[in-house]
Amino acid sequence: MIIPVRCFTCGKLIGDKWEEFSRRVKNGEPAGKVLDDLGVTRYCCRRMLLSHVEIIDELTNFYGKRNVKNEEGRR
Amino acid sequence: MMSVQILEKDEDSMSFVVNGITASLANTLRRIILSEVPCMAIDDIMIIENDSVLHDEVLGLRLGLIPLKTDLDSYNLPEECECKSELGCHLCRAVLILDVEAESDERIVYSKDLVPEDPNVAPVSGEIPIVKLAPGQRIRLEAYAKLGRGKEHAKWQPVSACIYRYLPEIKIDSERCDGCGVCIDVCPRRVLAKSEEGKIEIKRLLECTLCKDCMTVCPKDPPAIEVQGNQNSFIFYVESTGVLPVERIIREALKIYERKCSEFLEQLSVKLNVSEKD
Repeated sequence: MIIPVRCFTCGKLIGDKWEEFSRRVKNGEPAGKVLDDLGVTRYCCRRMLLSHVEIIDELTNFYGKRNVKNEEGRR
Repeated sequence: MMSVQILEKDEDSMSFVVNGITASLANTLRRIILSEVPCMAIDDIMIIENDSVLHDEVLGLRLGLIPLKTDLDSYNLPEECECKSELGCHLCRAVLILDVEAESDERIVYSKDLVPEDPNVAPVSGEIPIVKLAPGQRIRLEAYAKLGRGKEHAKWQPVSACIYRYLPEIKIDSERCDGCGVCIDVCPRRVLAKSEEGKIEIKRLLECTLCKDCMTVCPKDPPAIEVQGNQNSFIFYVESTGVLPVERIIREALKIYERKCSEFLEQLSVKLNVSEKD
């Protein structure tokens, strides 16, 4: 759904590293190198970022500008 | 004699060697750090408005997991606080307020949008995404942070890693070792190297994981190399989540242990005095 705040296994904070990770990987950098740069050393934390799919973007699409307009009358 | 040697230390993590203790004491320290050193985390939230795609419960869990900078000196554990109130007072509770609305564009709610009433209890990082809002959606809530212990919930654990392992000891029998070098090649951590005179040398002792592959692969019988963990020396690695400095976490853990011991001693002497009178 959205990037978990912490690593499921060890509890390291990883949420704040997602945006830089996904941006740099999209720009073609090797994921392993980016993870090393971010200081994500253990494999439990690395899989959190590596295997994450941000689905929340698909869901927010259902609440577009059209819905806001409909709701304006109600507010 | 006990001795401590610091190997590496940076902002959030520290590794050190402790000599002259037993595994039981090392494990005591580890378990106290994991489950008894208190730190701050959001425990209660009051949601006023939540239009986001995340349900209130999910939102609550995400907020709870955000590590908050902890000010151990000015806050009490709720169960030890004098106020005895369920809601808590300013000595055992910190309030953070989140009020974000996505206007015409999509907006990501970050941990920096949480406005703390006490600036000493702020999220460790401001860049943690909490939720993504579609245009027009709004989130309004009040969050109450409390001190807690890791044994109740992992969000109150001040460390993300706290491990210890035996200090490796490698002995090479220089009389029987012919320097063939198979042990160098088999070592996954590259602990060994060949010296200029063609002898096997220990290069990176602390990297050794005690896998003993070098012992099995040695053509000599019994092997000319012997790897063992020192049962009385431990390499500790403690990594804070950022809520407290590592030294503080260790100091607090030892203080808790000390308190437990003195309480035990006190109770024991009380009981012994009573029985003497009987």
